[in-house]
Amino acid sequence: MITPEEKFENSVHKIGRITILIIIISVLIVPVFIWMFYGIFPPLNSLVKGIITISSFMIPLSIAEILSFYPILGSSGIYMAYTTGNIANLKVPSSAIGMEVVNVEPGTKEGNIISIIAMAGSVIVSELLLLISMIMIVPISEKLTNSIFQPAFEQILPALFGALGAYYIFKEWKLAVVPLAISIVFYLIGDFPTAITVPICVLSSILGAKYLYKKGQISAT
Amino acid sequence: MKDYFNLANSSQLYVWGFFILFIIFIQAILFIRLAWKEGKRIGLNSKKMLSGLRAGIISAIVPSIAIVLTFMAMIPVLGIPVPWIRLSVIGSGPYELLAAGIGAESMGVSGLGGDGYTAQVFANSVWIMTIGAMWSSLIVFFFLKKIKKGYQRIEKRDAQWMKIISNAAFFGVISVFIAAPITKGGLPLLTLISGAIIMSICALLVVKCKMTKLKEFALAISMIGAMFSAILFS
Repeated sequence: MITPEEKFENSVHKIGRITILIIIISVLIVPVFIWMFYGIFPPLNSLVKGIITISSFMIPLSIAEILSFYPILGSSGIYMAYTTGNIANLKVPSSAIGMEVVNVEPGTKEGNIISIIAMAGSVIVSELLLLISMIMIVPISEKLTNSIFQPAFEQILPALFGALGAYYIFKEWKLAVVPLAISIVFYLIGDFPTAITVPICVLSSILGAKYLYKKGQISAT
Repeated sequence: MKDYFNLANSSQLYVWGFFILFIIFIQAILFIRLAWKEGKRIGLNSKKMLSGLRAGIISAIVPSIAIVLTFMAMIPVLGIPVPWIRLSVIGSGPYELLAAGIGAESMGVSGLGGDGYTAQVFANSVWIMTIGAMWSSLIVFFFLKKIKKGYQRIEKRDAQWMKIISNAAFFGVISVFIAAPITKGGLPLLTLISGAIIMSICALLVVKCKMTKLKEFALAISMIGAMFSAILFS
């Protein structure tokens, strides 16, 4: 006998796996299509060389990233996030704000449900905006890229994370100390891609939290 | 017009992009429906779930504009439909450009869209972008159930600790993006601080003046305010 919860979990995996598989295949069809319809295919040795280069760092990075995002997003969140991308700059903030507005805790059943709904909403919005911009692309593109708005859009990430950071750091500043210190050290040493720094900071943040938790300095909010 | 652009902007690629978008929408709608049913079962009312949906929608608008701008930056090099498809699915602006660059370099061409960037090099770029980004989706497809079991074992031992892991992981991600402007200083730092100040004012208004409606809009307001201050400071 399966419980309603298990039934829900099974449906999540069924929907997630079928849709993500369709997406994997459909996206792979894009270069295949260029080959089939236009007969254009790169020299095999160049293709293999490129695949080895990109895979040598994308495979380990993907594993570390998925392990880092799982506790934040949960199964259904991971399926959506790895279908549509833009995870740290869009999916994670949307799911966090959704839970905050409804006042449910991350990591709980209620939190999981609200996180799914909020993230699905953000997926629909971002895909629609991309579609609209594509349809109207020519008239807007020049105006936006060569205007007084240019510095605003260059600073979009500091704007997003200043706001998000202020809110959550006031809420539980002790958790922020370790990852923030390590990230700052990273940037002082050199210019590492976020695909490397994010997993390391997530891991050290969890280890720091473990220490605080054992000392009784924090409890689940 | 470069010669590979006929290929890069072919109408069949647009049609295929719409098909991919259709699947993405289906996935999002199926997940909303499923979560809605389960939410009802565990006692969340429609009003709460609707405000969660609204919060997700509102908070996505400003960051999506940034994605649109990345899209525009890619068009002169890769045409319209390929960047559109790539940014609609897994992948991000910097990754796609890096991967396209690797595709060009492994054919001995340096730089995107420059001399020697032929249709064949373009095809190689598309292959590399696609295959590099495919790994993460494949890992999710094959191993997510195993990853979930690992985390479930932690949850069974100590549910409290699992909640803290989830919070700590979140702080790990945002720290990286907070540290970047702090170490860069200048305009990024000023924008970061403006965003933090406006958000703090919003949070105070929500708590002290009980303006609960503001909660949904606080992130969007803070971002727009901080971006506006970036224009003033620059």
